[in-house]
Amino acid sequence: MLSEVINPELFASAIRMATPLALAAIGGTICERSGVVNIALEGIMLIGAFFGVVVALAAGSTHISWLVAASPWLGILAAVVASVLMAGLHAFASITLRMDQVVSGTAINLLALGLTGFLMVTLYGHPGTTDPIPVAINAVFNFPTPAGGLLATAWSWIDQIVFSYTPIVYAAMIAAVVGQWALFHTRWGLHLRALGEHPRAADTVGIRVLRGRYVAVLISGVLGGLAGANLSIEQVGSFNENMTAGRGFIALAANIFGRWTPIGSYLASLLFGFADALQIKLQAFQSVVQIPVQFFLMLPYVLTVVVLAGVMGRAVAPAEVGKPYEKE
Amino acid sequence: MSVLALREITKTFPGVVANERVSMSLDAGEIVALLGENGAGKSTLMNVAYGLLAADSGEVLVDGEPVRIRSPRDAIAVGIGMVHQHFMLVQPFTVTENIVLGQEPGRFGVIDFAEARKRVREISERNGLEVDPDARIADLSVGMQQRVEILKALYRGARILILDEPTAVLTPQEVRELFEVLRALVDSGLAIVLITHKLDEVMLAADRVIVMRDGRVVGETTPSVTDERGLARLMVGRDVVLRVERGSPHPGDVLLEVDDLVVDDERGLQAVRGVGLKVRGGEIVGIAGVDGNGQRELVEAIVGLRRPKSGRISLKGREITHAPVRETIAAGVSHVPEDRQRRGLVLQFDLAENLILGDHARPPVATFGVVHRKVVEDIAERRIRDYDVRTPSWRVLAGNLSGGNQQKLVLARELGRDPELLVAAQPTRGLDVGAIEFVHRRILAERDEGKAVLMVSMELDEVMALSDRILVMYRGEFVAEFAAGEADAERIGLFMTGGTTREAEAAVAGGGAG
Amino acid sequence: MSETREVVVRESGWLKVLRLVGVPFISVLLAMAVGSVIIAVTGGDPVAAFAALLQGAFGGPVQIGETILRTTPLIFTGLAVAFGFRANLFNIGAEGQLAMGALAAAWFGLLLAGLPTGLAIPLVMLGGALFGAAWAFVPALLKARVGAHEVITTMMFSWIALYLVSWIVTGPLSDKSGIPETPMLSSSVWLVTFDKFIAGIPPVRAHLGFIIALAAAAVVWWVLSRTTLGYSVRAVGFNPQAAENGGISIAWTTIWALCISGALAGLAGASEVLGVQHRLFDQVSTSSGFGFTGIAVALLAKNNPTGVVFAALLFGALAAGSGNMQLEANISPQIINIIQGLIIFFVAADSIVTWFIKRRQRLALESKVVADAE
Repeated sequence: MLSEVINPELFASAIRMATPLALAAIGGTICERSGVVNIALEGIMLIGAFFGVVVALAAGSTHISWLVAASPWLGILAAVVASVLMAGLHAFASITLRMDQVVSGTAINLLALGLTGFLMVTLYGHPGTTDPIPVAINAVFNFPTPAGGLLATAWSWIDQIVFSYTPIVYAAMIAAVVGQWALFHTRWGLHLRALGEHPRAADTVGIRVLRGRYVAVLISGVLGGLAGANLSIEQVGSFNENMTAGRGFIALAANIFGRWTPIGSYLASLLFGFADALQIKLQAFQSVVQIPVQFFLMLPYVLTVVVLAGVMGRAVAPAEVGKPYEKE
Repeated sequence: MSVLALREITKTFPGVVANERVSMSLDAGEIVALLGENGAGKSTLMNVAYGLLAADSGEVLVDGEPVRIRSPRDAIAVGIGMVHQHFMLVQPFTVTENIVLGQEPGRFGVIDFAEARKRVREISERNGLEVDPDARIADLSVGMQQRVEILKALYRGARILILDEPTAVLTPQEVRELFEVLRALVDSGLAIVLITHKLDEVMLAADRVIVMRDGRVVGETTPSVTDERGLARLMVGRDVVLRVERGSPHPGDVLLEVDDLVVDDERGLQAVRGVGLKVRGGEIVGIAGVDGNGQRELVEAIVGLRRPKSGRISLKGREITHAPVRETIAAGVSHVPEDRQRRGLVLQFDLAENLILGDHARPPVATFGVVHRKVVEDIAERRIRDYDVRTPSWRVLAGNLSGGNQQKLVLARELGRDPELLVAAQPTRGLDVGAIEFVHRRILAERDEGKAVLMVSMELDEVMALSDRILVMYRGEFVAEFAAGEADAERIGLFMTGGTTREAEAAVAGGGAG
Repeated sequence: MSETREVVVRESGWLKVLRLVGVPFISVLLAMAVGSVIIAVTGGDPVAAFAALLQGAFGGPVQIGETILRTTPLIFTGLAVAFGFRANLFNIGAEGQLAMGALAAAWFGLLLAGLPTGLAIPLVMLGGALFGAAWAFVPALLKARVGAHEVITTMMFSWIALYLVSWIVTGPLSDKSGIPETPMLSSSVWLVTFDKFIAGIPPVRAHLGFIIALAAAAVVWWVLSRTTLGYSVRAVGFNPQAAENGGISIAWTTIWALCISGALAGLAGASEVLGVQHRLFDQVSTSSGFGFTGIAVALLAKNNPTGVVFAALLFGALAAGSGNMQLEANISPQIINIIQGLIIFFVAADSIVTWFIKRRQRLALESKVVADAE
């Protein structure tokens, strides 16, 4: 049984499961570093996931062959655009209107849930799940498998764990590395961190506080859109109502666990992804281990609480996070 | 020609005229003191010059040319720099990161940290302002942080430097050092505006004084032709008592006794390192010291906000070492906290609700968890009357009162409770002369009624004016004790920065020139 | 001199009324307007839709009964969220506490079916409240002890509760019919419907739970305004540091406030089980959404218990009327969720709505702060 659970597929699955969390968590990191709490990530992802599938379905059902072929890519683009718009709403509410950021995020989450549910019925005539998208996105790499032997086994591990993914999975890794570098080595990063720690100090040296925060929230929109597209277009191939299932919140916990750094967020997401992958694997053995499936399903949520409980008090958030900035 | 000139600046907030047709000018090579009480409009005027506030009318001229300053960015561009009263430093950043913030060297958006460090070192050497470019701000002393602020302005090419109450947090020695630095800067061609309400500093440092009152310039003079009394009259508009009358103390029994107390700060570092003190009834003990030397932790431990690591605190012989606030209040401890808006009051509560904070869980205000409205209202009306809180009624929210009235409200609550011990931290911070006088009289009245008073203040003048005994706190320990009258600012100041008895005596013997 | 600057800002009477009632009212109108645009854009007729909605909510005794039925749990969850907000705690997980309250009701309802109604119902309701409070306790403890943000923890606990219920109804308490649900409760523990004790009205589904909800609102009002606990909750909510300085324990107040919030949400679940469903269903697939609507209710009511009753009535009416709207105007009832989200937006962004009214007042305050800061 052990080898059926612990195999390269488990690790590959963990990385896949971690991807939407990681993208959202990195988005959350960038937002919070700039001083904006982004509880809206849940809704931002959901909207992205939905509109990605809507556009992929629409383009895929035409009879223009290039459009059909491009349909999942157009879907990803649509997901990003929709999520950025949603993030823009959060930015407007919490930065310009100085609304309570958690409340604004909650409103967006409800709005996203309502909007996707409503449009689902309006567009497709039924709630629940959409049709599968006609054209899927394949793995980026496709290497031939060498013939038998120990080398082949080793290769199959490497192939599965390193080279088996769809584009957004790699995008998340790149986002983590580039984000980390940008945050600590560029002007943009220094300014961003100043905004979250002491926005007035940034203001008095001529850094535009509100604009900087807008940019941060919109970037989280791009990342949230990619996360949603990964979920619906790359992983599932269709849209289910409320398919984000609390991932936006888990992502925020991952961001905290990762100490408000992009790479930390990615690694923390990997932990949650692994838990998710493991519980899916273990479900196959529930008749053997005699544990109801619901307890496996709870695992990621329980883990989130445990991690938060363990890490809080030792992790230090940006000083001004959650506080709207107001000029004198 | 003036390097900076303000012409007919008017700035109003609804209901308040903060600046009314204010004009002033500043020449290169001079230090001008902008003197006035809290609320006189000094900071508003300088915030206009620095682009943080937009004036309703009037103009700003730099080198004789009218300029439009709509943001600090514009101000920096024309060579104006400002050191704010509350430092504009990003705590987790290094000195270098703070200094170059907004104007980082580098290409394509990538910061060249080596170059940045080099420039910081250059500018600090050129101006004799030594700093460690790689130190984190959070680890620096307040005086050092101020130095970083000045360097920040110089890095940006400031020719005009505005300092807002720069001495509020410094020891006498640090103040003198600061003034030497400022003098060197003006000698090299800078122009400096010093916002202050302290008369002695004006006499010491300024070439010229502009006095403001109620949003207007009410006079201009030079220190050579006036004295402190004259300046005070100009500033307040009437003759003022610079020091409240104080009768001799009649100390009674020891009420507060602290033994070998050790207290940690938030970061788990020892902030109070085994101190002991006794306060008798009918006596005011003042603690002098630079902010951040353990005073806050000591006060918080005594009133029950912070658990001491070890040691013992007792009130009237009863141990209260680990008693939480609820119990210390019941035992007779009252606390006027250093930040009335953050710790002292619930600004969104009305006055009555604020006046029962601390009494809210016990008779007569509440029995079995139920609050009695009538009792609350009676208490509120009585305390508002007794402590002269200016308000139409207790239904007003505390946030709508002026600073002076808010402090009266805190006093009304804490003293109205008839405590055995009053612990007052920075009781007059940010108040105007009238309110300061009121607070001082009330504290003295408590003493004269036989209460024990422990007062912490960064204002050395205040400690010296009120205390019967003075303890100097440095790095979590008491390093010196003086009886009233035998202390002078110079000696206390030396102890505040870690000087030894010998140094203190040498300093005094040397004529106090330091 | 300071006397000239003594600006004591007081709201005149009508201003206060306008702020209390006007902002929520305008917010609702704005949300409806945006909802109408969405309906129109997607090819529907907004006028017909809202007419159908009104008809479905207030068209007759049965419809009014339906509105009251939908209002009942929203009063509880609205109070739950509002109570949390008063202590500056955002209980986003009322959904899960509600599920736990429902679980308790289904379980105790089965256990205590033999007791006399007058004893069984209070006990079962109490059980619901306790389970709801227990479900809020761990997030409360984590908040008080290590500062783990309650928004994340209560949300996670919500999901855990939903899966727990899902297991209970398929496992230990399953009625073995193949449908994920518990056995039907004995009618001795049902909350009776209004038609049973009001003569002359047709059978309605509205039940005694509504009266209990109104009583709960009154109790919450009393606790907040007349007790030491309520005083502490408000003090901690506004300014924890000042509260602490006045001898109030932030940790205990946090725990109490979040547990009371959870208890109120638990009551919602118990009332639904005893009054409407009379059994417990799987909640993962058919989550009620009452917890989230409770957030909208609390915000619309500005956390005022009286306001909660009216705000709950509004959302109850929307929910009750949405069925008819779908029937007659062919508009998906999901539009209600959109309108909810929009209402939260407009209420919370009251800076737009009250901008004109509060402008003078706000500036006066700011100027005072600036003046004080000098």
